[in-house]
Amino acid sequence: MQRRLFMQILGAGTLVGVNSACSKWFGKRSSAVPYRLGIPTTCELCPNKCSVLADVKGDRIHKLNPNPANPKSRGMLCARGNAAIQQVYDPDRLKQPMIRVGARGEGKWRTATWEEAWDFAAGKLKATRDKYGPEGTLWSSTEGFQEVFFKNLGLAFGSPNIQRHPSLCLASVNLAYSMTFGTVPSFDLQKADYIIMAGANRFESIITPDTMDLIGGTMNRKAKLVYLDPRFTVTAAKADDWFPIRPGSDMAFILAMIHVIIRDGKHDKAFLDAFTLGFDQLVEHVKPYTPEWAEGETEIPAAEITRIAREFADAAPRAVFYAGRRSSWYQNDFQMRRAQAILNAIVGNWDREGGMVPNRKIAKGEFMFLPWDDPKASRVDEVEKDFPLTSAKDGVYLPLREHVLKGQPYPVKAWMVYKQDPLHSVPDQGKTLKMMEQMDFIGVIDIAMSDTAWYADVIFPESHYLERTDPIEVMPGIWPAAVYRQQVVKPIHDTKPCLEIAQGLAKRLGLSDYFDYTIEQWVEAEAKELPIPNGFEHMKKHGVVASVDAKYGTTRNEAHRFITKSGKIEIFSERLAEAGHDPLPVYTPQPQPPSGKFRLVLGRKATITHAGLTHLPWLNEQVPTNDLWLNPLPAGRMGIRTGDWLEVASTSGKVKIQARVTDEIRPDCVFMLHGFGKKSPWLKRTFNNGAADAVLLETAWDKVSGNAAMHETFVSIVKA
Amino acid sequence: MAKKPTKRYAMVLDSRKCIDCKACIVACKAENDVPLGVFRNRINVEKAGDYPKLRMSFDPEQCHHCENPSCVRVCPTGASYQREDGIVLVKYDDCIGCKYCIIACPYDARYHNPETHTVGKCTFCSHRVDRGELPACVETCPSKVRVFGDLNDPKSELHQLLASRRHQVMNPQTGNGPQLYYLL
Repeated sequence: MQRRLFMQILGAGTLVGVNSACSKWFGKRSSAVPYRLGIPTTCELCPNKCSVLADVKGDRIHKLNPNPANPKSRGMLCARGNAAIQQVYDPDRLKQPMIRVGARGEGKWRTATWEEAWDFAAGKLKATRDKYGPEGTLWSSTEGFQEVFFKNLGLAFGSPNIQRHPSLCLASVNLAYSMTFGTVPSFDLQKADYIIMAGANRFESIITPDTMDLIGGTMNRKAKLVYLDPRFTVTAAKADDWFPIRPGSDMAFILAMIHVIIRDGKHDKAFLDAFTLGFDQLVEHVKPYTPEWAEGETEIPAAEITRIAREFADAAPRAVFYAGRRSSWYQNDFQMRRAQAILNAIVGNWDREGGMVPNRKIAKGEFMFLPWDDPKASRVDEVEKDFPLTSAKDGVYLPLREHVLKGQPYPVKAWMVYKQDPLHSVPDQGKTLKMMEQMDFIGVIDIAMSDTAWYADVIFPESHYLERTDPIEVMPGIWPAAVYRQQVVKPIHDTKPCLEIAQGLAKRLGLSDYFDYTIEQWVEAEAKELPIPNGFEHMKKHGVVASVDAKYGTTRNEAHRFITKSGKIEIFSERLAEAGHDPLPVYTPQPQPPSGKFRLVLGRKATITHAGLTHLPWLNEQVPTNDLWLNPLPAGRMGIRTGDWLEVASTSGKVKIQARVTDEIRPDCVFMLHGFGKKSPWLKRTFNNGAADAVLLETAWDKVSGNAAMHETFVSIVKA
Repeated sequence: MAKKPTKRYAMVLDSRKCIDCKACIVACKAENDVPLGVFRNRINVEKAGDYPKLRMSFDPEQCHHCENPSCVRVCPTGASYQREDGIVLVKYDDCIGCKYCIIACPYDARYHNPETHTVGKCTFCSHRVDRGELPACVETCPSKVRVFGDLNDPKSELHQLLASRRHQVMNPQTGNGPQLYYLL
């Protein structure tokens, strides 16, 4: 692999004189407490996996600092990353295995030894297998470095029902770009001159390196940012143009842009001829989608759409319509993302500086474990039948829940959950509770008493990321990296890493042969094939191997075959047509809220992204509770003032929450932050505080990818 | 006139880059064991306009480590003092918690620590600076709003920014000579 790799000497910033990366004893402080500075590891508080240098005072983690050696994390650590210490020293954290003694959700527990907990869970899993077969068990998890062990345990046990998180997150965007380009590219915001962003709110929903590159781009290089969002977010405040677009109409905006670009002849003809398929059909397809038509759908003036389309095409190839993540908005989400991909394709920003760039990867080795037979049963969510294009191995969460509730095509009666709180991350909490009720057994692996753990039968406390060593993780990108998470302090409670928890269960389930290794052996095998000498030692010392040079244009040659059916970039997709979907994105107006109701939209704040973070004191004191954003226009009509208690209801559920009357939202929408209104008293700061969005959200999904559609819920509001 | 010190620490802030993400605030709390409920740094938010013509801006602020710190002048015990390099600190052993300095500070940069009953404030992370590192808020900042450095070092990024960019200090009329420089 000919790739210039950058093995940075850590801590060599101009102002940083001390080599803060050496994990050595840094002399003694006056209080004679030994101080170790800069132990490299990798953050786990969100999916960005930023590189961290930990300072340890005595045996206590004192501070986490950014590790500048990882170009992807851009030498920063956000508020959440800094607050990770409070997860370790949380007095209410899960400290030893527990077995439920009262009714589910009653909160009566007895502490147990690991042996007892393993025996108990293995007994229940075996009983389920005897009665319903191994497919009667469900294994759900959120991404993480040790997720592989949990997933492998489920598979080795013989269950096809491994439910991962993408269908609650970015399945639609991944599928849309894959169907078009054969891969999911990154967006080169470091070099882009013109960026259009719809709802991705990068300045509050931090993604590395995009957030940092975008703020640098807009402020240092004067790159232009056009932002569409029903809310006035920080991103809206920093943008050159903010349009409070009518929710659900993004595709109309994009199709009208395509219309203008083709009408004005501003598309990249040479690129389209050489690399794409179906442009002629597109020309015909977008004829009716005029800016004047789109104005009626989006409420954005036709003249503005025309101007933006022209500016965008003129700035190309250094222009991108940014894809975003958490693309779970509407039932037509996949097709909207396809329209984005096509817009990007016609201006020829593919694989160019400042455009969309296919990801590169750092090579690593694989540990060879004993393989097991593939599960015999097919998945309970029938993903292969209903969503043939989506990633079957990740599953589709909401359809899966429907199937489990109906017991179709077969009953699923045991649920193992790792690192996930389905009561909050999955829409329609009432339904999830029903699914839990009909389970004979629920086992949870987590670091804190999440709401889902509160309803479990047995809880396995996992060691915190700062207390354990994890596999090497490869992070594809324009600046690809491989990162390593190593133990910073020994576990302070009777907790274990996921691998050891899985091994304890495996032993009792007769699956030990498949898990006959240690984490060190696993990492060693991975490190062996890293493109540096002494990979394992390097990772322990530096925590990261990365490429600092971006490479452009490797796929822009006639010989390159895109991983699509035709080998070309598919503007028109035959595979979609064959699967019964629109081969080119067709706009259908989304239902709008009837009078007296509001669309519930979701979003993030830099301190509040995932439901498991809101109770951390340092983050909680920034946002102690959530409230319901409501525009002054409807608020005035209804006599609602900031601070009033409201009863908010959808067909799924009802919550009580205080009002925030604010101009920062469209009059037909309401907004609330995620991660409040907890049922678990162990989450002291969020227990019975605020309201949970998952209670209100109704069950709806994107028709092509099965991704949850989280902006489809209309709520009614009355003063409580 | 006192002789010119070898170093004079100051900070330049490019507020336009601030995204109000609170990383600086949490990093400061961790680094300096700041109790819950009180803060050594903050982000001032300014909002204006009506839907849909809205504006919002953020200004991070902390102790300005003034040239003529009024907090030091009013301290009855000498607990508040200024180092040669300009950093204003509190000797906790000498602080009697009388809060004169809190009132005297025109920038509202000091707080009473409810745990120790002494006054706390931003130290520019002098303990980190003394071992050659950056203050925690500077190092952790995702959008790199802050530049910390030595005013007397013409080669420092801080010096060069101040030499080449228009800037201002907050409320210069206080006469304190604040040393947080905000780029315009």
